[in-house]
Amino acid sequence: MRRHYSLLSVLIFLAVYLAVPGGIAAAAETKTLIYDEANLLSPGEYDELNAMANEYGAKRETDIIIITSNNPENIDVVKMTEDFYDDRAPGYDKPHGNAVILTLDMNNRDVYLAGFYKAEQYLDDGRLAQIRNKITPNVSSGDYKLAFEKYIKTAHKYMGFKPGVNPDNPLFNIGFQLIAALVVGGIVVGIMAYRSGGRITVNRRTYEDASTSGIVGRQDQYLRTTTTKRKIERNTGGGSGGRGGGGITSGGHSHSGSRGKF
Amino acid sequence: MPIIDYKCPSCGSGMVFNGRTGALTCQGCGRQDNIEELLDPLKEQVFSEDRGSVYHCNSCGADVMAEAETTATVCSFCGSAAVLGDRLTGKLAPAKVLPFLISKDEAMAAFRKWCRNGLLTPAGFMTADRIKGMTGIYVPFWLYELHNQVEVQGHATKVRTYTRGDYQYTETQHFAVYRKLRLNYVNLPIDASHKMDDALMDKLEPFPYERLKGFKSPYLAGYIADKYSYDDRELLPRAKEKISSYIEASISAAVTGYTSVSFTNKQIDTTLKQADYCLIPVWMVKYDYNRKEYIFAMNGQTGKVVGKPPLSKGKISAWFAGVAGATFLSLKLISWMMGGGFL
Repeated sequence: MRRHYSLLSVLIFLAVYLAVPGGIAAAAETKTLIYDEANLLSPGEYDELNAMANEYGAKRETDIIIITSNNPENIDVVKMTEDFYDDRAPGYDKPHGNAVILTLDMNNRDVYLAGFYKAEQYLDDGRLAQIRNKITPNVSSGDYKLAFEKYIKTAHKYMGFKPGVNPDNPLFNIGFQLIAALVVGGIVVGIMAYRSGGRITVNRRTYEDASTSGIVGRQDQYLRTTTTKRKIERNTGGGSGGRGGGGITSGGHSHSGSRGKF
Repeated sequence: MPIIDYKCPSCGSGMVFNGRTGALTCQGCGRQDNIEELLDPLKEQVFSEDRGSVYHCNSCGADVMAEAETTATVCSFCGSAAVLGDRLTGKLAPAKVLPFLISKDEAMAAFRKWCRNGLLTPAGFMTADRIKGMTGIYVPFWLYELHNQVEVQGHATKVRTYTRGDYQYTETQHFAVYRKLRLNYVNLPIDASHKMDDALMDKLEPFPYERLKGFKSPYLAGYIADKYSYDDRELLPRAKEKISSYIEASISAAVTGYTSVSFTNKQIDTTLKQADYCLIPVWMVKYDYNRKEYIFAMNGQTGKVVGKPPLSKGKISAWFAGVAGATFLSLKLISWMMGGGFL
């Protein structure tokens, strides 16, 4: 009977485990988090993404914001993002609070990601660059809805990792963990089955007469040295010609950032 | 036909070899005779050349059933030890014998214990209650002494990488290597009975050679023994095959300190110095499980059991699930400790 209880508890644990990321925690109120001034999204897509940004942002206590602009005044994308933060004062917890902002400048085809407060800590320049690299291909091909979905989900996912670790480490990947576990299980059972019939426990030393065996002649002759050289690729921000880096807004809010072209 | 039996000088009962005491022991009065001090009755008898195949038990007169390769058996009617003397002389005389150390009861107990330790064997098998037969057999082996002269030539490299400025340099030093090795192997056992599975016999090794005795027929009293089916020349290829992996390992171990080594030439000269005909003690166990017969062999000196037991699908799945599950949980735990979050 005990065994059944333990089995049941494992099943319940699994069920809860699988259900949680599905999103029980619905947002209490729906904020406007997407400012689609360039009209890249249809109204249906807009509603869907806005709801999604609210839902995922609430779990990380961070506003996940998207700004798109045709930028007729030709303002720099970083300045645009900083001014937005100063003027609109977004934030999950308070005005000028935790927020991560994705800005698309359709005029110059610039993309910029910035993290404020909690998001500055959890989404540092490196992680923002990783997110940018993930979505840039979709933005380039005009698949904005998919790109924004990826951005929201990835920002949410990465904020679940402590600052300082690489969230794309395969160790954190559940698929990798499952496959590794299955491989280890298979190897262990395979070895057990193989060894069940007894194994050979003699080696080359068992029958060797040590007193008369050994190396009786050796020669190691140096012939030549060959040298090849390879240029080291310096990783300069990576991606499509963008430089990383955050800064401080005119209003005095420090932020992380990653900038690129699409 | 010439059969040797061992009668107790005190009471006339049959005597058998006892592995624990190492003495010829009377089953009637318990008298123990030290075999080393005993005159081997084999030496006293002169065998005629006519090779009949019918042997009669000296005790009861019945025909002793013996296969063509049998050299020692037990009379199936009266149970007396019967050693077929003419099959143990001349070219067929063993040089050495490794006597049984483990008695039948001990072997039975050791086998049952081994069955219980099977992690993947079905529960019904682990009870070990279907042992059909347990036979103590002296298996004929050749113990080879092989001397090898090995000469190898090859090409080796040492690789060093370093960084200077914006470039990574890979510096490869090339060497011509030559090694000459003398590798002498002694007492390399090769089983010479066609009845025994070679792979099974190989797994029984090692045998404690320090307990080898000069051959005397009383060691066979009460056990089954076979004569060799193949002589030392016929089995030499198998002996060479067996040492080839040892030689390869020795060659690799002789060339060290390099990043890579590839041999261009290997010359191995093997000379057969000596091959001793020797009898090695093995308990053969026949076991019935699920209407299938399984055969196991036990080293009669060390008690090592070999042979493929049945495997339980249920237990395999349980172990697989357990190990995979534990690995998965520990990976989760590691990633959580590294700051990955549990989900």
